[in-house]
Amino acid sequence: MDFTSEQEAVRDVVREFAVEELRPVAAECDAEQAFPEDVWDDLADMDLTGLTVPEGYGGYDADPVTYALINEELAYGMLSVATALSVHGLATSCIAEFGSEDVKDEWLPEMATGRPVGAFALSEPQAGSNPAEMSTVARRDGDEFVVDGTKQWITNGKRSDVVILFAKTDRDDPGSVTQFLVPKDTDGVSVGKKEDKLGLRASDTTSLEFDGARIPAEYQLTEEGRGLSAAFSILTGGRIAIGAQSVGLAQSALDAALEYSQEREQFDQPISDIQTIRHKLADMQTKVQAGRLLTYDAARKKASGDPQATAMAASQAKLFSSESAIEVANEAVQIHGGYGYTTDFPVERLYRDAKILTIYEGTSEIQKKIIARHLLD
Amino acid sequence: MKVLVTVKEVAAVEDEFEIDGTAIDEAYLEYDLNEWDDYAIEEGVQISESEDDVEVVSVTIGPERSEETIRMALAKGADRAVRVWDDSLEDAEMLDVEAKTNLLAAVVEEEEPDLVLSGVQADDDGFGATGVSLADEVGFEWAAVVNDLELDVEGGVASVRRELEGGVEELTDVDLPAVLTIQTGINEPRYASLRGIRQAQRKEIKPMTLDDLGLSADVAESDLEIVDMYEPETESDATLFEGSPDETAGQLAEVLRDGGVGQ
Repeated sequence: MDFTSEQEAVRDVVREFAVEELRPVAAECDAEQAFPEDVWDDLADMDLTGLTVPEGYGGYDADPVTYALINEELAYGMLSVATALSVHGLATSCIAEFGSEDVKDEWLPEMATGRPVGAFALSEPQAGSNPAEMSTVARRDGDEFVVDGTKQWITNGKRSDVVILFAKTDRDDPGSVTQFLVPKDTDGVSVGKKEDKLGLRASDTTSLEFDGARIPAEYQLTEEGRGLSAAFSILTGGRIAIGAQSVGLAQSALDAALEYSQEREQFDQPISDIQTIRHKLADMQTKVQAGRLLTYDAARKKASGDPQATAMAASQAKLFSSESAIEVANEAVQIHGGYGYTTDFPVERLYRDAKILTIYEGTSEIQKKIIARHLLD
Repeated sequence: MKVLVTVKEVAAVEDEFEIDGTAIDEAYLEYDLNEWDDYAIEEGVQISESEDDVEVVSVTIGPERSEETIRMALAKGADRAVRVWDDSLEDAEMLDVEAKTNLLAAVVEEEEPDLVLSGVQADDDGFGATGVSLADEVGFEWAAVVNDLELDVEGGVASVRRELEGGVEELTDVDLPAVLTIQTGINEPRYASLRGIRQAQRKEIKPMTLDDLGLSADVAESDLEIVDMYEPETESDATLFEGSPDETAGQLAEVLRDGGVGQ
């Protein structure tokens, strides 16, 4: 793949950071369900918290290919950190794309420096794959909106300071979904219980409760009723990021399996000399590389500015790469045998972390629905 | 004030490799910034951040490929760079300390820095002599294996702590202009920031040939000749302790006692 010298330099630095700073703390963060805040500050020092902030607001304004490279390399180190950063990036994308000049001036320069941390609140307990069924309402009251409802599966739920919120302006009109910005310290906003998850345990996932929370009308980001289409356009970029994270996690599992298989001896030989193991490794490598090619294809389509082609390519990248990540992590555990089932080896965590990739930012089933729609309709 | 930081792109050898004549086969080499030079860059950039009007110039001797490495120095905060290369250097089997000294001395004459920072040694050929040899050639003061630096710009003095053999450290004041060879651990080299990387794409890397430096091709001639390259025989003599921590600690103590380490 052809990358510019700037893209290569960014990839090399982020990979070094992932290996030197993320890998060593990944097991401990997972065990303690603790997000590494000092690592977040390091990300900010490297300008990684300003990836989707325009340069005029102090950001890096990464092109789609660079954005994918960074997500791949961070996930190579620790998926929880890559996820937290990509959600922060969704929030700054929304503000940059839909916010007024005043709102952008107020939030973007500081968010580019890492704090306030952003969150993205679309899903609800009863509205996941079909966000149009959401019940959170933002009712206009003079110069304010009054928000009531519950949001679910919020990455950076507790540690965030500002939330991009999707809510209906008319309880009975499914077409009235609108995007808002809600500061977390607004009265009536509270953080619900932290989820106890299979994987991605260092990532802070909570619900958010809105109970008569009043926000100024200027924090309405999109026009009324334009919230969902805005969410979908932002999520297309998000899906490329998840595809890239899947590739990074899978590469990490493959590298671990390659290393272990050449050290582990059975039947008087390294198990990497045994054909059944060699074939597994070959399959894993092919899946990782195929996912990578789909992901960078989608990123290049986004860079060339073709939204239709990008949406389909992004769904294909996310579908294939995330399903492959599970398969590759599964085989990596298998190659490690009993050791792979213990926390003494990183593949155990990679196996648990991988599953979320086929679920968040659109399940595999939803990706197929999107791909089929582009094929048939 | 001007700080010149010498950097080198060093070859790292893969775990498995083959020797081709008197060199390691190119196929088994990867190139990276010399570890010691990374600390020298950081020291130079920290000086520019804490003092007014400091220009940090990075210099390397190397082919076009090495621009990737020197650009990382620019991304970390060096202001501009000089890359010395020439067809006659390409043809030389090796560049010894004398050759590098003469090349860098010509750059020092051109740039007239107040301070030259150089890594203690290069990770690949490991002569560990270029910095001090350069100081001698250009008539600068020098201090080697510096692991702490306090700079008095007004007074033109660098107060350095030097790491000597056997855990002894020495404090020395060195008058500028000076060459300091920088030891790892003197600071914590930063990761380049993304905006630093972007800015580095636009910073100048000035190519300089022997002609530009007023040198002739015989600068690369060397009295040294590599006569052989081989892997030394290695002996592995590992003892594996088995049992509970109590038992293995006892076994370890016995080995140490027998070896004369403990009483």
